[in-house]
Amino acid sequence: MGRARIDIRTIVPLALLAVLVFGVPLLSADRYLLKVLTFVGVNVIIVTGMALLFGYAGQVSLGHAAFYGIGAYTSAYVVTSLGWPWLAGVAAAIVLTSVGGLLLALPSLRLKGHYLAMATLGFGEIMRVVFVEARGLTGGPDGFSGIPFPSLVGISIDSAGGNYWLIWGVVTVVLAFSANLVRSRVGRAMRALHGSESGALACGIDLTGLKVRVFVISAALAGLAGALYAHVVGFISPSTFSLHVSVLLVAMAVLGGTRSLAGPVLAAILLTTIPFADAVIPGLSRSALETIQEWQEDVYGLTIIAVMIFVPGGLAGALRRISALGRRAG
Amino acid sequence: MGATELLQFALAGLKNGSIYALVALGFTLVYAATGVINFAQGEFYMLGGMLSVWAYAGLGLPLPLAGLVGVVSTAAIGVIFELLAIRQRKDGDPLALIIITVGGSMVLSSMARHLFGPNERPLPLFSGGGSVSVFGAVLEVQTIWIIGMTAIAVACLWYLYNRTGLGRAMRACAVNRDAARIVGIDTRLMVTVSFLLAAGLGALAGLAVTPLTQTAFDVGPTVGIKGFAAAILGGLGNPIAAVVGGLVLGMLESVSIAFISSTYKDAIALVVLLAVLFVRPQGLLGRSRREKV
Repeated sequence: MGRARIDIRTIVPLALLAVLVFGVPLLSADRYLLKVLTFVGVNVIIVTGMALLFGYAGQVSLGHAAFYGIGAYTSAYVVTSLGWPWLAGVAAAIVLTSVGGLLLALPSLRLKGHYLAMATLGFGEIMRVVFVEARGLTGGPDGFSGIPFPSLVGISIDSAGGNYWLIWGVVTVVLAFSANLVRSRVGRAMRALHGSESGALACGIDLTGLKVRVFVISAALAGLAGALYAHVVGFISPSTFSLHVSVLLVAMAVLGGTRSLAGPVLAAILLTTIPFADAVIPGLSRSALETIQEWQEDVYGLTIIAVMIFVPGGLAGALRRISALGRRAG
Repeated sequence: MGATELLQFALAGLKNGSIYALVALGFTLVYAATGVINFAQGEFYMLGGMLSVWAYAGLGLPLPLAGLVGVVSTAAIGVIFELLAIRQRKDGDPLALIIITVGGSMVLSSMARHLFGPNERPLPLFSGGGSVSVFGAVLEVQTIWIIGMTAIAVACLWYLYNRTGLGRAMRACAVNRDAARIVGIDTRLMVTVSFLLAAGLGALAGLAVTPLTQTAFDVGPTVGIKGFAAAILGGLGNPIAAVVGGLVLGMLESVSIAFISSTYKDAIALVVLLAVLFVRPQGLLGRSRREKV
């Protein structure tokens, strides 16, 4: 199955997609559009981790905004206040979120059932309090401002196009890594786990170790996304990392569907763009946009419920059905 | 710190603990019937306050009637939510149901914002702003209302659970759903009843607190997490444990404000939650169950 995928029919569309994604800054100089799409890329990175966790390992995290925030504040602090280079800030963010993820996952995944959802919920709220109260490190409720742009080998990446390329470059690496992961031994083990936990256990798969590893990867990806976000936007505050954001990330993973990366990525793009619909739909009236933003929560909530009831496969299931139809027609 | 001050903190802990107990009961009843954590539980608390305010200020009903309208209509919303969303997922997969309740929570709070606006809404004190002195500590009359209403609700629930056929059916359902179905219990009806009771109890808590704190469309999640921590602390699925968990959590918070600091007050409940999850996942009163294959 792994080898059959790498054929001309998949490479050509992927290459076209890559050209399209990386060509945007050349086609459009609209700074607002580029900023929105950069933000979309940040969410795609987090949701890729959520897709591994939810869609492959069958676990839900209601606290990923906390890892997103830890990554953002860590990198912001060590780069802005301690003067470390940007890449070191990103590395620190990844290390800290990985360790945090490990400490949270080890005890909660030892237990059966959905303890991880509960533990991550509690963890997320603790971190929200810490982001607000630890003023010396985080700037408190007013936020952390004056974070410098990312810089590589002394060159600051300060243009909207540069930031866009940087983020989507990272997105490409993250997706390649994750696609590889799900096709590897680990990926096969995760699929077995999804089929039947007892069955996977009987095949000698270390269930807890596997789930913990996937959780740590997803936490690290959220940390990476946080570090990127902080430097691209230049300002972070606790509201960016609230429970509400954790729930949105779950919504993206759920809408995307299980055992797929393409579905959740598509869902992340869709749901992130909704409140900024005026960036992608030219000529959208101000009042139409306000209506969209006003009802956005209801749309998200109803989408989650409807997907769980009517299309448990999510977008991924729909995509699989379409491609199956296409194969039959061809 | 003097004995009077200590008593003052204890009374505050008892008051908050009563609220957590009511919300925790909601979590535990739904968990017993479905095996699912209902993340919309906090929204029932919010709706109880908001709908009472609407009946009182909007419809001009007298306060006791407005409170009744608030609690009953929230219980009805709980039933509707169960029928339209929870029941529709036929296989009852817990992970899917948990996610549905997360979606439901978003929809309920957003609907409240559309209908009642984004502002904080007040409700008058149930019987004036008086207070009584208990060994030198000040006890507000509204606090007596809160503790009293919780006590009555818990007593009614105890009677329902232990002395009626419906209660026996609910307990049977909690012990073993398949066995309950075999002996002719309508397990689906029990799920609906659990949502009715959970929503009603949450609404009662929201109604009792609103005169002191006001309410708004976004108060649900914070209280939900506290009630949830209380339910875990006591032991999920056991109503007595939920009440004990609520009171212990309220006291813990009060003690931490008295002796540590109020800055991290909201984090205390969550640190307790994580500690209990990791060290004693069955809760203070729960018995550990061996997993059988």
